[in-house]
Amino acid sequence: MVLLLAVFLVFGALHLRIAQLQLLEGSHWRRMAENNRLRRLPLAAVRGRIYDRRGHVLADNLPTWNLLLFPDEARNLGETVLFVASLGVSEASDLHRRVNQRGIDRLAPMVVGENLDWEQVTRIRAHQSDHPELSVVAGFRREYPLGPATAHAVGHLRLVSQEDIDLDPQLDPNSRVGAIGIEALAEDFLSGRPGERWVVVSAVGRQLGVVRESSSSSGKDLAVTLDAELQQIAAEALGERSGAVAAIDPRNGAVRVLYSAPSFDPGLFSGKLSPEDWKRLAEDPRHPLQDRCLQGTYPPGSTIKPFLALAALAEGVVSPDWTVQCTGGVVLYGHRFRCWRRWGHGMVDLSRSLEASCDVYYYQLGQRLGIDRMALWLEIFGLGRRTGIGLPSEAAGLVGNPEWSRRVRGTPWYPGEAVSVSIGQGPVLTTAIQLARAFAVLANGGRLVTPHVVVDPDNPSPVDLALNTNDLAKINRGLELVVHGEHGTARSLARLPVAGKTGTAQVVRLTEGIDSDDLAPHLQHHAWFVGWAPIDDPRLVIALVVEHGGGGGSIAAPTAAAIFSAALDEARESQASQGPGE
Amino acid sequence: MEHRIDAWLILAVVGILGASLVTQNAVTEVVGTQLLARQLLWACGGMLTLLALSRVRLDLYARLAPLVYIGGLAALVAVLFFGEIRSGTRGWFAVGPLTLQPSEFARVATILMVAAWLGRRSGGGLSAKEAAVVVALVGATAGLVALEPDLGVTLTYLPVAVTALWLGGLPRWAWIGLILLAMIIGFGAWHTVLKDFQKERVLTVLDPERDPYGHGYQVRQSKIAVGSGGVAGQGVGHGSQSLLRYLPAQHTDFAFAVWAEATGFVGATGLLLGYALMLYRIGMAAAVAENRHGLVLAILVGSWLAFQVVINLGMVLGLLPTTGITLPLFSYGGSSLLSTCAALGVVQSVWRHRLVNQ
Repeated sequence: MVLLLAVFLVFGALHLRIAQLQLLEGSHWRRMAENNRLRRLPLAAVRGRIYDRRGHVLADNLPTWNLLLFPDEARNLGETVLFVASLGVSEASDLHRRVNQRGIDRLAPMVVGENLDWEQVTRIRAHQSDHPELSVVAGFRREYPLGPATAHAVGHLRLVSQEDIDLDPQLDPNSRVGAIGIEALAEDFLSGRPGERWVVVSAVGRQLGVVRESSSSSGKDLAVTLDAELQQIAAEALGERSGAVAAIDPRNGAVRVLYSAPSFDPGLFSGKLSPEDWKRLAEDPRHPLQDRCLQGTYPPGSTIKPFLALAALAEGVVSPDWTVQCTGGVVLYGHRFRCWRRWGHGMVDLSRSLEASCDVYYYQLGQRLGIDRMALWLEIFGLGRRTGIGLPSEAAGLVGNPEWSRRVRGTPWYPGEAVSVSIGQGPVLTTAIQLARAFAVLANGGRLVTPHVVVDPDNPSPVDLALNTNDLAKINRGLELVVHGEHGTARSLARLPVAGKTGTAQVVRLTEGIDSDDLAPHLQHHAWFVGWAPIDDPRLVIALVVEHGGGGGSIAAPTAAAIFSAALDEARESQASQGPGE
Repeated sequence: MEHRIDAWLILAVVGILGASLVTQNAVTEVVGTQLLARQLLWACGGMLTLLALSRVRLDLYARLAPLVYIGGLAALVAVLFFGEIRSGTRGWFAVGPLTLQPSEFARVATILMVAAWLGRRSGGGLSAKEAAVVVALVGATAGLVALEPDLGVTLTYLPVAVTALWLGGLPRWAWIGLILLAMIIGFGAWHTVLKDFQKERVLTVLDPERDPYGHGYQVRQSKIAVGSGGVAGQGVGHGSQSLLRYLPAQHTDFAFAVWAEATGFVGATGLLLGYALMLYRIGMAAAVAENRHGLVLAILVGSWLAFQVVINLGMVLGLLPTTGITLPLFSYGGSSLLSTCAALGVVQSVWRHRLVNQ
């Protein structure tokens, strides 16, 4: 019968199809079945903690729930996106964009929610059978107990970039790495290696068992040289003002404080940074993201004077007994250069020049030294070049000279500029960490240390600058008088065993007849104080700059006082000798 | 004069039912043991029905056909008002703990009616009016099923109508016209009636990788299940596709995939042979029928069952779009099983009342 024959022909075709699927393509489909049921889950490696020198936690990990999306398992990604958005863990538009912009790694799981609360977790679990593509996994969220007080120094995290993955294909594209600060500097040490777990998963997303697992290896904990308490005191001392505090141990260069104001909450970067938060940070006119300790370059002002004095003594262009008559100004190259003290200082010797910060003395001293020797010596003290602290994005600053002027600026060098340089103005820019390091040379008897936040045998050892100890002692005596002398510019610190130098960095040049107090706030001078304590056994150098803070003596020195007095607390010091990081 | 029942057909049916129960047993992890118990019950009831109906005299089927047909129509109308809704289809009566699906039984009633009508008339090909009667008889019940709406079951009425018209005899121009009409209706339906998901199902057959995690998901998982069965299968109750629930509708539409995954090429071939044997024996019954009524009855039942087997396997094997048509005697479902057994019982009546000298 025709009908029966036709039916059998069709049956034959079906049978051929079965043979094709089962016999010819059997192994292919079996592999597909394996892929179906096996799922790779990344196991987050616990990032190492960061401790300060006394064991206070600077960076910690909080356990948290994250939501993973396996895009290949989703039946309808659009619907999944809406479901995830309805949980409030992510924005639909943002999620849509990420889902659509998946790269080569289309099928890799992606983190679509972080830091889920318990209610969100239970809601996902309740809808697990509708959404087998979603998986709640345990993770860690980076936490910074001191928050803004250590934001720039300790740093924060960021999502790995495509470049990071190109360099290290093993990286989980959902993981985070250090973006700035110690987090970035010690990334390899802190990060550990993520593991992976292959689990059998049913179509409704239930994990039925582990097939194989390579455990993650945790990152190592790191003790750094920072002092959490001093960081906080520095943050309090600067308060609402913009500025920077860099403090190092002059004996070895161990960094105790790196605080930049205004600061921000580094924990914002541990999770998904909302566009609003990012906008607020990036567009803040006070630039909280900038690290003023390492990236803020300012004219050093009068804080440059001890180094020029040392240079002049070393070069033999002046003797310690050399004196200058200060009448409140001097005419050089047909231009009158004023002393900050309008009515002058009278007879000024080396010691008095530092104590009272006489500008005219240094105009004359600079004339004798000449710009090339000034520039050379400033660089010997580490000014205008990177300190090698190791933290990312350190600025070099600048020490100008005629050659630089031709090559970089493309204009000839004006002799008057050398006059400005001799009081730390004009084409000379330094960072707070550079000045801290330069003053450490004075405090430790002539050795140039390399600032560092991590104690490492590979850290460069101090370089002896072979300075004349008598010259050094004379300079230091002058710096002691700055605080304790009758004419000192930092007498507000007199109750503390501190030696140092104030500085006032002009933002604009003052013309005759205009007083600095008349300037608009954003044109006000930057105020410096750089000094060390205790005087005879220096253990801490602080370089502090207050942006638009007016005079160094009136603003910067009192601010430094708070930090010095905390640092000098005997009880803390005895404790510190037992702590790590020495 | 009555002959003995056809042992070959009984063998095929028992074999298929046995394989079905093995499969239902394998998926109890997923769908529960209750369904297995019910299916066992239905299988026994089905066999009894088959045996009982094979004893009924053939002419009685012709005489009772209008009554059964009207009963079927009434049930289909009633279910539209009083039926239970399952996944959007109002097609079930609740009878105690069980549910009955009148659309399955109405198909048998329709076959009885069409066969009775075609068996009574004599002479050459169908006139236009007579053809219209055949179409109307099938169309009435099929139309009511379509209202539920149950696309899968409605489609199974199609081979009944086409085979009836073919048996009645239509001139060649009428066939050409019908094919053209079908193409026009198909084209029209594509642009109007068919919903997007139904179109996607058709397109998925043409391009399986079109949307593997959306509309192609079921068929893809089904192919994975069948393919991973390999030569000898993964063993009953060990198929990962089935156990881990990747396979959809595994006790109903995709039950064959569970079987193929568990028993491999060997088992799949065996089951296919079972259906071939069953259809061959139905064909034999038609060949020896004592009258035209018996012939038409057997062929209509055979073409319906063949259609359903081919469409279901075509779907499971990824050759035809997903339609929700079950595999007769194999997929879970009491109404389907009972009505299929009833139809086979009627075919056995044809076999038993064949002419003596054959």
